[in-house]
Amino acid sequence: MSAYQDLSLQERMLLKFEAEEFLYYEGGLLDSRRFDEWLNLLADDIHYWMPLRRTTQAKEVEKEFTVPGGMALFDDDKTILTMRIQRLAIGRAWAEDPPSRTRRLISNVRIDSIDEDELTVHSNFKLYRTRLNSEEDSWIGRREDTLRRSEGGFLLCRRHLFLEQTVIMSQNLSSLF
Amino acid sequence: MSEALITTDKAGVDVSGCFDMATGILDRRIFTDEEIYQEELKKIFGRAWNFVCHESQIPNPGDFMMNYIGEDEVIVVRDRQQSINVLLNSCPHRGNTVCRAELGNTRSFFCSYHGWNYDLDGRLIGMPGEDDFYRNNIDKKDWGLTPAAKVENYRGFCFATLDPEAPPLEEYLGWVGKVGIDFLLAEGDIEFLDGIHKNRLQCNWKLAVDNLYDWYHVKVSHGSAIKIGILDGALAAPDNQMVILGEYGHGIGGPGISEEEQARYDARMASGEGEPQWYDRYAEKRTSPETREMLGPVGRRSFGHPNIFPNLWVAQTNQVCLRIPRGPYETELWWFNFRRKGMSEDEQKFSAFMQNHMFGPAGVLEQDDGENWSHSTRGAKGTFSKTLPLNFSMGNKADQVSQDPSGQSCIETVINEHAQRWTYQSWQDWMAAENWPELIANHSQPPTGEV
Repeated sequence: MSAYQDLSLQERMLLKFEAEEFLYYEGGLLDSRRFDEWLNLLADDIHYWMPLRRTTQAKEVEKEFTVPGGMALFDDDKTILTMRIQRLAIGRAWAEDPPSRTRRLISNVRIDSIDEDELTVHSNFKLYRTRLNSEEDSWIGRREDTLRRSEGGFLLCRRHLFLEQTVIMSQNLSSLF
Repeated sequence: MSEALITTDKAGVDVSGCFDMATGILDRRIFTDEEIYQEELKKIFGRAWNFVCHESQIPNPGDFMMNYIGEDEVIVVRDRQQSINVLLNSCPHRGNTVCRAELGNTRSFFCSYHGWNYDLDGRLIGMPGEDDFYRNNIDKKDWGLTPAAKVENYRGFCFATLDPEAPPLEEYLGWVGKVGIDFLLAEGDIEFLDGIHKNRLQCNWKLAVDNLYDWYHVKVSHGSAIKIGILDGALAAPDNQMVILGEYGHGIGGPGISEEEQARYDARMASGEGEPQWYDRYAEKRTSPETREMLGPVGRRSFGHPNIFPNLWVAQTNQVCLRIPRGPYETELWWFNFRRKGMSEDEQKFSAFMQNHMFGPAGVLEQDDGENWSHSTRGAKGTFSKTLPLNFSMGNKADQVSQDPSGQSCIETVINEHAQRWTYQSWQDWMAAENWPELIANHSQPPTGEV
């Protein structure tokens, strides 16, 4: 599938730059609470997924994550993501009123593969949140994103998120990753 | 309400004045007081039948999962004779944990400190240096992992108690606890789905329990979920409410229909004519003669939320949720997910959709619940605010318990706080009793007549 390794250094640099530009932009929209603009960057067939993670014995690490289609923290299509965002705007979304303050750091961006008009990009994230006067959460994890070229630039068509926590140590996951 | 309501003496904390059933007034310090919390761990969690697993979670010998009884970690494991054992996760040599994974399969539990090794039933089967260092002067049968006093199973749901004086599980559950679990089995046998949603909230465990009976909060707390259409507004908090109260603090609270409505539903189904009603989605799960027999004439008309005292919520979404205490101000919620055997693919997809999107930390309902519970807990912390009473009076002395000839009983009414009052009354009974015989002798009986 991946013709990525066959590209020249210059071609790979350009691709990585394009991917990074997109990821920083869409992450910035979430941190700026420009949620409607963020939704416009999602493909209609997006799969936004965060499996459950468990502490396992070293010999059974294959049991660490739940599998696609099973139980998950997020298993959203565009309809659900849209609902999550509409919820914030219409009032009585108490977990986000007053709203969280988020800031995310995206790093270790690496193109994993290219397939026709799609680019699969791996990255690490740290999402820091404070809320009210004293609440503080910090989530670190890994993402596997697939970006699809469209007329207006990239669209996000797959975001799989792997958090480094098992028991979620925060009050909720009301922020988007 | 005076400071003196909670008193401490050598025998422990006296909470007998904390809740007044006559008025529905509650002393909010029960949500934050450290001494009360420590007593709860002993007198409630240390005595009760605690849900530990569904038998389908650990189908094979050596399969185990971790759970908690109060704050004590227990290993729940199936042994080679197919029995499910519940073992305290603490090596009797230095106290070290012998299992650190949340789930898995193992041949034995091997202590990482000095190598004491335990069989799946907790028996100590060996240690390094038994001959050379202990000079064979240790009796291994005295030094196994400590098992729960009793482990029993009701229709696949395994419970354990640390108290040998606890009554048998089915006696403990009574008809209310049993019907509560039967709700999950109304459409047939179920099996566990891999994955328990777990997260930690900054709230007292009792506020999370209290809330499962609360159909007053739905339209306010979950207003945004109703507006976006993910929660059906018609089902969100119907005025037709039914409350069922059981011995030892079990209860079922929420929507329900009258006998007349049930008869009209049956006639409507038989004739195929008539307007759909808000309760059809529930009632259609209760049509087979076997289901109706299992739930009984009252149980089958209730679509509410059961709580198996102290902390197991049986939800209407093929889920149960444990509210596990983690100190007076912290609670972990653990959502166990199930599917009915033989569900169609579409039914399974819908069920998983509800399980993944309603509750748990990212659930569109529970995000907002957690916010309220944690801030209610915070409201019980202030030096002045914690001395102020809380009001649980809704519907007090306004309703009647109706007794069915079958022995089942219920309160048919509007939105109310009967089950919350019953929970705190029962909680007080548990805290007042020094042991199971005292609790059996002195616990409140479910009310009859006016409530």
